[in-house]
Amino acid sequence: MKPGAIDYLILAIYFAYVLGIGWLVKRKVTTATEFLTSGHSIPVWVTSLAFIATNLGAQEVIGMCASGAKYGIMTAQFYWLGAIPAMMFVGVFMMPFYYGSKARSVPEYLKLRFDEKTRGFNAITFAVMTIFSSGISMYALGLMFELVLGWSFTASVLLSAFIVLVYTYLGGLTSAIYNEVLQFFLIVLGFAPLAILAVWKAGGWNGVVHRIPPVMTHTWKYAAHSSENPMGIEVFGMVVGLGFVLSFGYWCTNFLVVQRAMAANSMHAARQTPLIAAFPKMFMPFVVILPGVAALALNNMGIQGILVPKGNAFNYDEVLTRLMAQFYPSGLLGVGLTALFASFMSGMAGNVTAFNTVITYDIYQGYIRKNAPDRHYLTVGRITTVVGVILSIGTAYIATAFNNIMDFLQLVFGFVNAPLFGTFLLGMFWKRTTANGAFTGLVSGTGAALATFALTRAENKGGFLGVIHEFPSSMAQNFWISIIAFAVCVSVTAIVSMITTPKPDRELESLVYGLTKIPHEAGVPWYKRPGPLAVVVGLLTVILNIIFW
Amino acid sequence: MEDLRVPIGSFFVILGILMLIAAGLARGNAPLAPPNVNLWCGAANLVFGGIMLWLARRAA
Repeated sequence: MKPGAIDYLILAIYFAYVLGIGWLVKRKVTTATEFLTSGHSIPVWVTSLAFIATNLGAQEVIGMCASGAKYGIMTAQFYWLGAIPAMMFVGVFMMPFYYGSKARSVPEYLKLRFDEKTRGFNAITFAVMTIFSSGISMYALGLMFELVLGWSFTASVLLSAFIVLVYTYLGGLTSAIYNEVLQFFLIVLGFAPLAILAVWKAGGWNGVVHRIPPVMTHTWKYAAHSSENPMGIEVFGMVVGLGFVLSFGYWCTNFLVVQRAMAANSMHAARQTPLIAAFPKMFMPFVVILPGVAALALNNMGIQGILVPKGNAFNYDEVLTRLMAQFYPSGLLGVGLTALFASFMSGMAGNVTAFNTVITYDIYQGYIRKNAPDRHYLTVGRITTVVGVILSIGTAYIATAFNNIMDFLQLVFGFVNAPLFGTFLLGMFWKRTTANGAFTGLVSGTGAALATFALTRAENKGGFLGVIHEFPSSMAQNFWISIIAFAVCVSVTAIVSMITTPKPDRELESLVYGLTKIPHEAGVPWYKRPGPLAVVVGLLTVILNIIFW
Repeated sequence: MEDLRVPIGSFFVILGILMLIAAGLARGNAPLAPPNVNLWCGAANLVFGGIMLWLARRAA
């Protein structure tokens, strides 16, 4: 792939805009609250798009396209089953407690609802995860630009880290959120042409359907048995593991995304955020997965150079960039490459802005210096932003040296949030849940996840303490680890809660269902209320599932 | 910053113009690209950017 002058010009203009937005926002950011939490000031259409853009990192885009070629349209389950229901739930049922509690972060909610130890546990695991996630995606980007454009690994890592650092340092969360919206549109306008062109070349959707095996164009039809579909999963593991535990664990408790909704300018807007975000989210498979599915059809037509062999399979991770090389002439190529860069930066900025908030409020203010003036925490917030970026660069280089450790960590991060959803579910909806119950439940759930990983194996992953079960695919293993971790967390939390003393009701106001005033929606037109909005989202998702069943 | 739609709109207008210029240069280096792809995508970016600017102007 050989970008021309015009392509580099587009990339340069994008960098100028990103930095310019940071600089414009800076004038409005004068307190720690504004820097770290945006001071509840962002309009709902902005928080909604940022809500999904922060999850739309480069690895997501490249990985979804790769999975499209490897598993077919069934990959869309990661959206229709693995995101939409959880987004409906967090908007309708959980946001009243997050937003109403006045907590500034997810760990801080845990402190208000339970106690310090649960918060500390969550804050530290979360901080470590954000740094590694950000470093791993930086590593992926560096590798890709080295391979595709011949850029040096160090140059692309440092350039992108520098730009993210400048705009998050200047404008904090507001700047990150504003840029995520720009990135979202760029990703859609940069990748949608690829889906359209690839499907068009393969003879339209009918052409794609005729050129690839039927199992690749259905989401549910072949899901009953793990041996019938390329993902190697069965319907129970998929629905409960992916659709319930994993997705609710991610979308409902991961501060990275919840922070975007909490930045909204009213309780009403905070509840609408995930619901409005669900509309573009449900159509994202047509932008990021469809090119991969079409790539398989093009390969079966005899078109060379898109799916290239690697070992005894294909090199799926290169599908996206190889499609771009085939379909994007200079000009559009610049937009496509810029979209890749943008998707990477949105993922990284999301991690950095979540990291600095958790470190400043939950670690520094929680355990190191409690009652300093606001200015002090603004300085600490800015310093942790710099530290976060430097640590991410460090982990990116660790990844180059210890590839296997990073693969392993990515697997662990995949299920480490699963038990946390159990803690939240009980904590928010059962006032009897005690602090000690939550902590023992969370720790034993996390332990159960690691133990299951150590005792089972799939595709040569896991099982280092012995193999008592072999899963047909690592996806199935991941889903089942989450189910077990969630079940252990919920049972242990419930049992310990029954034998320990709960907090009195007055301490649980605006934290627990039944003791919290649910916002009154009278006078708001029906299509803006969370309930009806969620019903519309649900119906549309069902229709998409029926079309591609 | 008053309205995020202004920078977003102007960004895509610039992108659209650049793609139209690229379409005029018509240098084909992508084997499977249809002939007018820069023209169509440039127009789409221009229209999207224009709508954003129009929405911002209407709100102001």
